[in-house]
Amino acid sequence: MSRTVVCYKWVASESELRVNPETRAVDASHARRKISEYDRNTIEAARVAAGQLGGELVGLTFGGAESKSSLKDALARGVDRAVHIVADAGTRADGHVTANALAAQIGRIDDVGLVLCTEGASDTYAHETGPRIGQLLGWPVVTNVRELIVNGHRLRAVRVVGADAETVECDLPAVVSVVPEIGPAPIPGLRSVMAAGRKPAEQVPLADLALTRDALTARTTVTSFVGYIAERRHVLIADGDAREKVALLMSGLAQEGVI
Amino acid sequence: MPRVYVFSEDVQLAAELVATAATLSSDVHVVCLGSEAAATLFDAGASTVIALTAADSRAEAYAPALARLVSEREVDLLLIGATVTGWEIAGRAASILGCALVSGASTLRSLPDGQWQSERNMYAGAAVQTEIWTGLAVVTIARGQAVAVAARNDADTGITQLIEVEVDSRVQVVSRTVRERESVDLASAARVVCVGMGVSTAEDLALAQDLATSLGGEIACTRPVAEDRKWLPAERYIGISGVSVQPDLYVGLGVSGQVQHTIGIRDAKVVVGVNTNPDATLFGVCDFAVVGDLHEIAPLLASAIRANGVRPGARP
Repeated sequence: MSRTVVCYKWVASESELRVNPETRAVDASHARRKISEYDRNTIEAARVAAGQLGGELVGLTFGGAESKSSLKDALARGVDRAVHIVADAGTRADGHVTANALAAQIGRIDDVGLVLCTEGASDTYAHETGPRIGQLLGWPVVTNVRELIVNGHRLRAVRVVGADAETVECDLPAVVSVVPEIGPAPIPGLRSVMAAGRKPAEQVPLADLALTRDALTARTTVTSFVGYIAERRHVLIADGDAREKVALLMSGLAQEGVI
Repeated sequence: MPRVYVFSEDVQLAAELVATAATLSSDVHVVCLGSEAAATLFDAGASTVIALTAADSRAEAYAPALARLVSEREVDLLLIGATVTGWEIAGRAASILGCALVSGASTLRSLPDGQWQSERNMYAGAAVQTEIWTGLAVVTIARGQAVAVAARNDADTGITQLIEVEVDSRVQVVSRTVRERESVDLASAARVVCVGMGVSTAEDLALAQDLATSLGGEIACTRPVAEDRKWLPAERYIGISGVSVQPDLYVGLGVSGQVQHTIGIRDAKVVVGVNTNPDATLFGVCDFAVVGDLHEIAPLLASAIRANGVRPGARP
């Protein structure tokens, strides 16, 4: 009855970032926070895998105080218990620090058989956390997985490798990172949302993980973060019937010299 | 002079990374699996080719051996090809080495004071982040972001080292099948018609195909059309984990315009969107935003193009 741990990230909604067209400065202060889009598919896949493994499903996230808001959503999406490792204000977390924190907390949970991550979060999309955690825990790593079956103490996974589908197997415990095609991410129903309030959620201060200063020192420093502005003509063709619209478009395309 | 090691299981990408590394240092060594590719890699500018050999042929199994080698040889920078295999090896190697990982760098330069600087996309391309660091780092670079290999007439054959290594064979390959694969080269298509999830039936798909045919172009799609609906093969989806295109003309039919997709059309000369929703996100990155029903617009546009004729594309 091994446990399954699913890692997820609480991120700013990418569609609500505002970019100043002059300075290219990015304003995320008005962007809603959410569980990273593809992590929602991963949580559902973890729920299915935990069913096959027969044990508890633990949701795990690492982030500042604001990530606390993610716990209820993760619980509504089907995790049995949600854990938030709380980074102090001022913690600079790169992939090195994040993986150290997540792996250390996973090490404190008894009898974990399977850890699921997503290939990338919607902000960084670095394909980094799963392989790093696997290595830190000393467990086999299987990445870019679109199908997963857990059977006893072994898993079988179908990976997308270029244009090929590669089926692999390994013993548990293991770390698996998945792509969104692993399965759908259902919107939690009212009953799940209500039930979430009764499930356990805990916050673990980063200091409780007894990590070394080296493990908590970011390896890179971000010196600039600017938005991308697409330079396009922005001609809106909305008036008239379909023929008129196509005629306007054809004239525009001819002017641009592309037809 | 920084010592740069390069690894990719994809020989062509390894050669591009060697060429990239050669712009940063003349102390460039490449690690590969088996020695068959040595000549290609010397040609690209490697001083040493280190061929790792072991009983396991699965490239990912070599991650710990590669990290050990980098650690023993006082390497300053490990460049890895950004492929599915490379991402895993990069993450594991960075963890073993306790160092930085810059995933999918778009630029990489060494600064005068021993620092390194790199840029990468964030939020699927909505933003660009610049990072600096000192000391060892692993950096992954994708095809097309690396420096193209220039033919060198003066290429010397360097030293080839064969090293037998211990590998991590805990993950075993049971089978490998080729998914439906087409020899399509979207990246060099002069015109691309892309279908999104707003194209909801096979008949709609035929309309899009007909429009592509009228333009002498290729049909493409967004990720869910290929990966969820499986209407088109994976080689035809545009976006962050798919293909990036640079056509003269891109026409998006029923494409909502998520940034994960639009990053792949940035280099299109002219972008046209057709959508019934005037608030479609794609319209924010369009030259021409046509608010309308693709069932009407696509066939009319195809007829108009056939009547008008099409200029020969810059990239036929």
